[in-house]
Parts: sequence; C-alpha cells; structure tokens
Amino acid sequence: MDATDRYSRQILYPEIGPDGQRRLGAARVAVVGLGALGCPAAALLARAGVGRLDVVDRDLVERSNLQRQTLYTDADAAAGRPKAEAAARALSEANPDVEIVPHLRDLSAADADAVLDGADAIVDGTDNFDVRFLLNDWAVKHDVPWVYAAAVGASGLTMPVIPGRTACLRCLFEEPPPAGSAETCDTAGVLGPVTTVVGALAALETLKLLAGREDAVRRGLLQLDLWHNDLRPVAVEGPREGCPCCGRREFPFLARGRGGTASSLCGRDAVSVRPAGDGAFDLAATRDRLQRAYRVVDVGSILRFDVDGLRVTLFADGRAIVHGTTDEARARAVYARTVGS
Amino acid sequence: MKVTVRLFAALREQLGASSLEVEVGDGSTVADVVDRLADRHAGLREHRFATALNQRYADASAAVGDGDEVALIPPVSGG
Repeated sequence: MDATDRYSRQILYPEIGPDGQRRLGAARVAVVGLGALGCPAAALLARAGVGRLDVVDRDLVERSNLQRQTLYTDADAAAGRPKAEAAARALSEANPDVEIVPHLRDLSAADADAVLDGADAIVDGTDNFDVRFLLNDWAVKHDVPWVYAAAVGASGLTMPVIPGRTACLRCLFEEPPPAGSAETCDTAGVLGPVTTVVGALAALETLKLLAGREDAVRRGLLQLDLWHNDLRPVAVEGPREGCPCCGRREFPFLARGRGGTASSLCGRDAVSVRPAGDGAFDLAATRDRLQRAYRVVDVGSILRFDVDGLRVTLFADGRAIVHGTTDEARARAVYARTVGS
Repeated sequence: MKVTVRLFAALREQLGASSLEVEVGDGSTVADVVDRLADRHAGLREHRFATALNQRYADASAAVGDGDEVALIPPVSGG
C-alpha cells in the first residue's frame, strides 16, 4: 500500500485493514436527510470511500442552515439550491471516486423502494419521526441495517438497528410521538458541534457495518448532552418481545395513503407540502397554468413563485415548500389554491 | 428505598435537574418510580419516554431495588 493513497490511514487501522476497505468500496449506502446530521455523515462516508452514496433531501439551502450544515456554501444559500444537488457537488469534489446519486425527494412510502432498494445500510439524517418510522419499517422488512440519529439543542440520541439482531426503533418507541410534542430546532435551537458529533457517530457505526464488522457495532442507545458533558450509553438487548415491527412484522408506515401531508421544516420559517395522490405530476403543464396568474421563475428542476407574501417552491414530484409561514394548514391551503391538490 | 432518576434533554430542562432522588416502597417497579416523580412534577405526564434501569433498557414493569438508577429517555427528533 502506498502511504500517499487516499485511504492509507484508514487501512492502517487494523480493524478496517485492506479487507475492510475493499468491502467499503463495494458497498452502497443511503443518507436520508441532508441537514446538520446528514452533512457530516455523508461527508465522512464519501471520504472513507464507500462505493456508492445515495443522498436524499426534500429541502433547499438557506442562510440559517450554514451555521451547522457543513456541506453548503454561502452561494448555495443565496441561490436557494436543492440540498441534494448542492451536497452531491460538494461530496464529488471531496472524493470523485465515489458514485454520488442525488434524490430531490420527500421520502415517502410510495417511493421508499425506488430510493432504498440495493442499499447495504441507511443513515438517518432526517428531522422528523414520520420519515424515521418509515425508515425503520422499510429497513426491518428488507433486512437492511440503519442508524437512528437525532439532535436538538445540545442533546443527541443515536442507535444502530440491525434487523432481527438488535432492537429496532419501535422496540423503544412504539409509536411516533404526537406532532408538536418533541422539541425542534425552531423551538430549542441547535449547536453545530453537537449535530456534527452525532452525525459522525452515525457514520462510524455505518463504517463498521459496511466493513463487515457487525461485532463492533454499538448495541443500544447513546444519549448525549454535550453542553453538560454528559454521555450515557444505554444497553439494549435484542429485539423486544412483542414489538409490532421486528416481532410481529407489521409495517404500517409502509402503507401508502399516509401522504397528503404538510410538515413544518426544522429550524425554518417554511412548510413542506406533499399532495395525497401519488400519480405522476406534470411540472411543465403546471408552470403554464401558474403563469397566467403568477410570475413564475423556472429553474429547470423547480418552479418558484410568490403568493400573498409567501414564496412557493414547487418540485418535479409535485411537492412544494411554502416559505414565510410555519402554519401547515395555511401552506396546504396555498398549495391547493395555486398548484391544486 | 431510594432510587435515583436521571433526566435528559427536554426533561432535564423542564424539571430543572439532571437527577432526582425518589423514595418508593419495596416491590416497586419502574412505573411506580415514574408515578412518584410525576406526583411532584405534573408536567412529566405530558411526555413520552422510554426507560432504562441501571443503564440497561427496561420496560415499565421492571422491578427496582434500593440504590438503583432509573433513566428517562425522551425521543429526540431534530437533525
């Protein structure tokens, strides 16, 4: 091995070694959510030389992201670039040997197969439990390991899930907490070093999995409160008896028709709206209709227009981000009135 | 007997402490410990959380002993 080789220091670490590195190079991993957790996780996995990295996000880069979302530049925010696109470019610049596949999507039951099929592991970079419970159902059903990761304020929580061998998310939290019940980056703020630590921990457990070293993967939760210098592991034995997901193999979060949702975006004055129907959406036809009433900026993959002091960004899959409000009902109403749902 | 309850994240902020002592009777469970704490801090009942006993995941029916540590683990969503 040449000491100048890109991966030489990682291969020198004996638990990885040449064999682990070969496995990494043949592996495919999906990072779902490219915010403050997904940015460091994706960067570390790309730099470590995974074979293929699928990066998934529904959002656009904004100035308030830049304090902690380390893949993005001031220019990305000024241009309002889709995160998946901006991340893919930054990751390719960091390591052109990795195949980076961007997905500009709000991951749902309808498209989980299309995005996740073929993944050897999934990293949770999301900011909501809707998608986490979807990931958990999908991963357990398809026997693909995933790493739960979350952070808010100066606190974090993370746990690797190896279906059938470790507890899953529903072993711990049987149902998603009620909407509005958990702190968000909007209400509690969030510190960049904290999200970077949690994202890096998720990347590390993923590297162990991909390198074929399941024996080294942490069994259980890690709670972190880094402002108070408090790190607590919580051991969790195997799957919980009676767990509806890994025990009874019920996967309600994979049922279609849980769409038609609006959810406010963590740390943002904006709401993501997804129409209930999962039929094909025609962006060009929609643009032509909208242009009769609004000044529409067409950026190729997205449309943008202003209505009632709100700015609507419309994606090719029919999803929209309504900027200037955190009121989900208002955002849905604007969507229905302008785009139609 | 005395049990230490360790708090985390939003619960730590709400109850204003990282750990609290709770006095419970012999034969008590994790659920009894949580109930006793909620008698003093009603806001606790608005939260959902998983529980651990002596740094291992444990459900509400697990029996606690003198000097044990119960940790409350609220789900964390942001990212």
